[in-house]
Amino acid sequence: MKDYVELWNRAMTDIELAVSKANFSTWFKDTYIIKIEEGVIFLGVPNPFIQQWLYKKFHNTILKSLRQIDTGTRALEYIILKEADRKKIVEKKAAPQQQSPTISMPLHDFYIDKDDNLNPRYVFDSFVVGPFNELAHAASKAVVKNPGSVYNPLFIYGNTGHGKTHLIQAIGNHIKKDFPQKKVFYLTSERFGSEYFSSLQTNSAQKFKEKYRKYDVIIMDDVQFFASKEKFQEELFHLFETFYQTNRQLVFSSDKHPNFIPGLEGRLKSRFVSGMIIDIPTPDQESKIAILKAKSMSNNIELTDEILNFLASNIESNVREIEGIINTIACQTQLKNHTLTVMEVKNLIKNSARPKKNISVKEVIKIITDFYNISEESIFDKTRKKDVVKPRQVIMYLLREDFSLSFPSIGEKLGGRDHTTVIHSCEKIREDLKTNSVLINEISQIRAML
Amino acid sequence: MKIECVQEKLRSAIGVSGKIAGKHMTLPVLSCLLLDASSKNSLVIRSTNLDLGIEISIPAKIQDSGIIAVPAQVLSSFVEGVNSDDSGVRLESDQNNLKILTTRSSGTIKTMPAEDFPTIPRVSEDNKFFLNGADFAKGLKSVWYSSSVSSIKPELSSIYIYCEDESIVFVATDSFRLAEKRVKIKKTKDFGQILIPFKNIPEIIRVLENINDEIEINLDKNQISFTYNNLYMVSRVVDGIFPDYKQIIPKSSTTEVVVLKQDLLNALKLSNIFSDKFKQINFKISIITKTCEIKTKNNDIGENITSLDAAITGEDIEINFNYKYIVDCFQSIDSDSVSIHFNGLNRPMIIKPVSDTSFRYLVMPMNR
Repeated sequence: MKDYVELWNRAMTDIELAVSKANFSTWFKDTYIIKIEEGVIFLGVPNPFIQQWLYKKFHNTILKSLRQIDTGTRALEYIILKEADRKKIVEKKAAPQQQSPTISMPLHDFYIDKDDNLNPRYVFDSFVVGPFNELAHAASKAVVKNPGSVYNPLFIYGNTGHGKTHLIQAIGNHIKKDFPQKKVFYLTSERFGSEYFSSLQTNSAQKFKEKYRKYDVIIMDDVQFFASKEKFQEELFHLFETFYQTNRQLVFSSDKHPNFIPGLEGRLKSRFVSGMIIDIPTPDQESKIAILKAKSMSNNIELTDEILNFLASNIESNVREIEGIINTIACQTQLKNHTLTVMEVKNLIKNSARPKKNISVKEVIKIITDFYNISEESIFDKTRKKDVVKPRQVIMYLLREDFSLSFPSIGEKLGGRDHTTVIHSCEKIREDLKTNSVLINEISQIRAML
Repeated sequence: MKIECVQEKLRSAIGVSGKIAGKHMTLPVLSCLLLDASSKNSLVIRSTNLDLGIEISIPAKIQDSGIIAVPAQVLSSFVEGVNSDDSGVRLESDQNNLKILTTRSSGTIKTMPAEDFPTIPRVSEDNKFFLNGADFAKGLKSVWYSSSVSSIKPELSSIYIYCEDESIVFVATDSFRLAEKRVKIKKTKDFGQILIPFKNIPEIIRVLENINDEIEINLDKNQISFTYNNLYMVSRVVDGIFPDYKQIIPKSSTTEVVVLKQDLLNALKLSNIFSDKFKQINFKISIITKTCEIKTKNNDIGENITSLDAAITGEDIEINFNYKYIVDCFQSIDSDSVSIHFNGLNRPMIIKPVSDTSFRYLVMPMNR
C-alpha cells in the first residue's frame, strides 16, 4: 500500500513537470494507484470524464514516468472509484455530522443489494472455520460449486449466533460472483410470509408466485417461523416443488432440525430432509479461540494467548457475544492506550460474560417439573412411575452438569437418595443423549429456561 | 473555421449548453464552449463541468472546418443580445479570435486553445431504454430539493430512480425528510436503479423538461446519457445502494388532518416570523375542540398562534417540526388541499396531496 503511494507520488512529480499546472490539478487530483498486477498498474480515478481524458491525453506521459520509476510496468488501466472507496484509500475522516435537532430517519441496510437482498459483507473469506462448523462450510462450498445439483435443498440449523446467516449469505454472494447469470435471492421466512399475505390482500397472488419462480437460487433464513402457519407452508411447498424439479438451488436455515419444528407439515418436513441437513453445534474451545483471533485481527487489537484462553473458556457459545466483547476490548485498549492485562479483561467482561447461574436447586426442580407437567412433590417421593423417573433423572443430570453439585448433595436434596443412584441417573441420561433426539431437544429447551 | 448557421438555432443551443460550462478554478478551458465544425454540415457545441457534459449539434454551412473554444459567458451573452430580425449568422475564426457576424452587429471574442478541452464520454448501449423527457424532468423536480447537501453519504445526495409496477419512482432524502414521486409510464423495460447526483439535477431538468417526447437513455455503472435528436447529455451516476426507505414509511396513522394548502402555507409563513434558530414549529391537534393550531415562539422576538380550519380524525397530538422541512414540499403539490398524517411522537409525519397518490412527503419531528 505504502509503496503504491510512494510510486504514484514520484510519478506525479514527474508528470507535474510535463503538463501544465491547470491540467495537472484538474486531471490528477484524487487519483491513486489501486493495485499492481503483473506489471499492470490500475489507477483509480474519480469519474468517467477524467478516465477518458487521461487515457486520451496523458496516457503516454503517465506510462513513461511510471516506467522510469518501475521498469516492470507493462500497462496502465483506469478504474472509476466509488466515492466511498476513495475515502477509504485516503483515509480522510468525514467531518462529524452537524447535530441537528430534527430526529434523523433510521435508514438502515445501506449495504444490502436491493436485487438479491444479500449483504456483501458475508463471504466465505471472513467465515472462521473450526471443527464445529467445517462440515457446514464444506457443504456450502460444494453447493457454490454446483448450485442445484448437489445437496438440494441445503438445510443448516443451529443456535442463534452460530453463523448460519453468515454461511447462507456467503453461498448467495459466491454463487452471484461465480455464476453472474444466476439470479439469487435471500429472504427471511418472515418476509416471505408477509409478502404472501399482502399479495392475498391485494389479489396479486399470481404476481407473488411469478416473482419467486424467476429466481435460480433462493436462500431462506429462519424457516422455523413457519411453524403452524399452514397457508405459508403450502405456498413454500409449491415453490419448493418447482425449484426441486427444475434443479434450482434452495438453501434454508433454522434454529432446529426440521423434525423438531413444531407444527411443520409432514410433506415439507420430508422435503427438507431429502437434501442435506447440517447442524452447526456449539463452537469448541479451539474454534472459539480461532474466532476470537480473527475478530481481534479485524479490530486491530492484539490479545495474548492467556487472554484468548481466558475469554474462550468464559464466553458462552454465541459468536455475537464474542464480537461484542472484542469491541469492548478494542474500545478500552484505545482509551487506555496500552494492551490490556488479563485482570483488566476479566474486569471488563464481568458483565458481558454470562453470569454464573444464580438459581437455587428448588427453582431448577420447579422449572423441570413444570416442563414435564408433574407435581413437584413427586420428585421427592419414592415413586418409580415412568413419567416421574425421567424428569428426576433429568434434574440430577442438569444439577451435575450445569451446576456442578456433588453426587451426594444432589441425592440428599432430592429426597435423600444414595449417591450411586445419582451417578446412575446421570450416566443414563448421558447415554440417552447420544441417540435420543427427543431428549436432546427437551434438555436444550430446559437449559434455555434455566 | 468559417461557417454559417441559423441564428435562432445557435442561440438556443448556446443557451442550453452555456449553463453547464461554469467557472473552473484550475482549468479555464472548462468555462468555454467548444465549437466543433469538423463534420460536413453541422456545428457541434460541447460543454462540460466534469460531472455533467452536453453536446448539441445544429445544422450549418461549413466552408472551412475547425475547432475552437470560446468563453461560454461571453458567447452566450453576445448571441443572446444581438438583434434577431435576420436569420443568418457567420462564425469565423481568426488566429486566437472568433468573429461573429450578423447583418447588423459583429463581435470578436478571444478564444482559448481547444486541445485542452476534454471529450464527452459515451455510454455503452447495453442498458438502453426510452422515457418521456418531460415526465422524467417532472419526477426529478418533485423530489430533488430533499436530497442531502452534505457529501458524506453519496447515496443520500443523489436522486434515486427505479421502476415499480407501471411507474417510475423518484426518491430523495437527507434523512430528515423524504420525498417520493411516482410518474406513470406506458411501458418500459426495468432498467434497474439509478442514482443521479443532485448537483446535476437542475441542469438535467432544464434540458429535459421541454422535450415532451421519448428520449433515449443509456445507463452503465458510472454514467447515464440522454439522447434526443441532436442533443446528447451525460451525467455521472453514483454507484451505490440507496437505503431501504420503504421500511420507515408508516403504513397507518394515528391522526389525520385535511387542510387547504393555501391556508397551511399562509399559517406557516406567519409562524416563521417568530420561529427560533432551529426553525421550530409546534403543531397542536385537538380532537375535542376540532382545531389544528400552529404555534411558534422565539424568546427574543415574540410568539404567534394560528389556528386552521381542518377536518380532523384520530387522536390528539402535539409535536414539533422544522419549518423548512415542511414548507419545501409544497412546490411539488398542485392540489388545493393536503392531508397530513401523524403517527405519534418521535414518528414521521406524512404530507400528501388530497386525491393524488403519486406524491408523498415524510418529515421527521424535532427532538425536544
